[in-house]
Amino acid sequence: MKRNAWILSGTAAAALTLIAPLAMAQDAAPITWWYEQANPTSQEHLKNILVDPFNASHPDQNLTIDYRGTELDKQLRVAMLSGQGPDIVYTPGPAYVAAMAGAGQLLPLDDYATSLGWTDRILPVFLNMGTYDGHLYALPKTYETLGLFYNKTLFEAKGWTAPTTIAELETLADAMLAEGIIPFGAGNADWRGANEHYVSIILNSVAGPENVAKALRGEIPWTSEPFVTAIDTLNKWWQAGYFGPDYFSLTGEQSFALIATGEAGMSPTGTWRFGSVNTYFPPANAEAGFVGFPSAEGIASPIYALGVGSTFSIAATSENPDGAAAVIDYVFSEEFYSAMNTAWQGEWNMPLRDLSGVTLGDEVLPLYTEVMANLAAAVNQNQFGYTTWTFLPPATDTYLISGIEEVWLGSITTQDYLTQLDAIFQQELAEGKVPAVPSSE
Amino acid sequence: MHRLFLIPTLLINCLIILIPACLTILLAFYSWDGMSSPRFIGFGNFVTLWNDRIFWRAFQNNLIWTAIFLTIPIAMGLLAATMLLVARRGRTFFQVIYFLPVVIATVITARIWQGMIFSPVTGIFGYLQDLGLPIINPLSKTSMALYGVATVDLWHWWGFLCVIFFAALRQVPAEQIEAARIEGATFFQMMRYVLLPGIRPTIILMMIMTVIWSFLVFDFVYILTQGGPAFSSEVLSTMAYRKAFYDLNVGQAAATSLVISLFGLVATYFYIRVQTQEGEA
Repeated sequence: MKRNAWILSGTAAAALTLIAPLAMAQDAAPITWWYEQANPTSQEHLKNILVDPFNASHPDQNLTIDYRGTELDKQLRVAMLSGQGPDIVYTPGPAYVAAMAGAGQLLPLDDYATSLGWTDRILPVFLNMGTYDGHLYALPKTYETLGLFYNKTLFEAKGWTAPTTIAELETLADAMLAEGIIPFGAGNADWRGANEHYVSIILNSVAGPENVAKALRGEIPWTSEPFVTAIDTLNKWWQAGYFGPDYFSLTGEQSFALIATGEAGMSPTGTWRFGSVNTYFPPANAEAGFVGFPSAEGIASPIYALGVGSTFSIAATSENPDGAAAVIDYVFSEEFYSAMNTAWQGEWNMPLRDLSGVTLGDEVLPLYTEVMANLAAAVNQNQFGYTTWTFLPPATDTYLISGIEEVWLGSITTQDYLTQLDAIFQQELAEGKVPAVPSSE
Repeated sequence: MHRLFLIPTLLINCLIILIPACLTILLAFYSWDGMSSPRFIGFGNFVTLWNDRIFWRAFQNNLIWTAIFLTIPIAMGLLAATMLLVARRGRTFFQVIYFLPVVIATVITARIWQGMIFSPVTGIFGYLQDLGLPIINPLSKTSMALYGVATVDLWHWWGFLCVIFFAALRQVPAEQIEAARIEGATFFQMMRYVLLPGIRPTIILMMIMTVIWSFLVFDFVYILTQGGPAFSSEVLSTMAYRKAFYDLNVGQAAATSLVISLFGLVATYFYIRVQTQEGEA
């Protein structure tokens, strides 16, 4: 009997030891988050840097990430419509937030912003961008900007310097053409959306961010003279051959590789390309350079056009909004920023106001760290521009992408393009689909 | 009692086909972004489409696509099937070879053509360019993009028709072929008076299906060009997809889908008529 009692009590103790963590996990309040496509390495980073540390430091919460692939936005729209979405709503951009907030699918975050100190920690411009009808609904996961990558080694060999004005850029591009070098390494074979990188650059650097902001607020039409000049300039560059003969055949990666080999001189693209620098430049014995895109006369230079790829919100139907807010709060910490940007650069550039407490690993390019610090400082002083994928409503943006090809290929004129763009925009503006537009200086 | 066996099928058809179809028809009369509440706008979406030059461009491209697929792959399939019928040696081998592209996933076929054939950097076309031949990637030219995509789809598709036609040709009564031979019919006379009339129902069926499939074409266009450059290869289905998932304009996407369905319905009418005639015969 005694022996049996020992066996029983031993078994019970062992069972309790095994069951206890499970029971705790069951007691912990679940937090669901649907994430987009991520390769196994990226999923490992999310597990090791976010999920495990968060759950360990919040024993009463249980965060799980569900990888939904490239069709996340479509799944999310359907789920939100039926009130079945995840707690953390991870949208593809502010345009989606505007529609979801308007439909009452998102929870206002104002109280969390105050109680968790987001208003002090996050760059104010991004808090404004996530505000609709006076309430904060979204925070950006990452922000990016556009600029000019160039082959520093090639520039030194040829005695060229990075351009600081549009006139200098054109002189340099013409010199490159004369030497058989493609001025802009660019291509859209894998993603037509690449077109809008160049339209965003030209609108901010030639028409100027003030005019772009006025047009976004509906104060001036997109057919105004500054935009005509901007699109004409972009078309002039296309016709001059700055984009090379294979723009529609090259993928983004292939075109970026061209500047490493010296077949192209520069690449007007986004800061997300920093992730490709080490892939192409060291094997080609070349060094990469990056400057803000030069501006036309009378416009401050450089203009950092702000882009937001994805946003965080909390579902109005969430049963655990406090847990979801705790996850978002964790993401906006210096520790998480340091660890994630060391492991996975360019994808998690959260808009923290102060990066002085951030420590990145040695493997991170010093140029990347410098550019991001410059960008944060410029944004903190309200000096920024507007990327089209962040601030334009959806139908206007898709026409902007496809329509510019018509201008380049001579199917329509600049005037036709801007007239149709403006017509679509005015309709979406009237329907309240234009995301919030923060003011720059 | 035996009619009860129809219930599962009817239920599945109702849930998967009838209800979504009715909802699509309904949505075509609404303005809806897929998130907020739909707003009834009558024929507004159809009026917008009527005045949209890109819609007409896409419609025209669908007609060109249909014309291409009603002629070239059917002619190629018939020719190859006839040759298989005549040349008995290696028949199975060639059937497998011709049919192979059909079983390769669309995305893989498209990416192979895009990256290994058309690309000026990594493809055969680039190699030929380096040799000095004035050859360009058709997908990058507005005048050729649609034909470039059609070429890839043709490569993938014609083998299927060949195998179907070959199977049909083998069903032509041997005594008819033998009689024609005894009468001294040439190869072309044999084709004209014996073989083609013998497989006429199969050819008509394939042509009707080609019309339906041509208005549904989406995959190769979307993967290779996404309708570009400058809308030159846009078709109605890529336009509907863009409107639904990029423009967030579900109402106009539904209206575009209805136009596609209209052509499918007309073709289906002829298909049912042919089927009925065959049944009566």
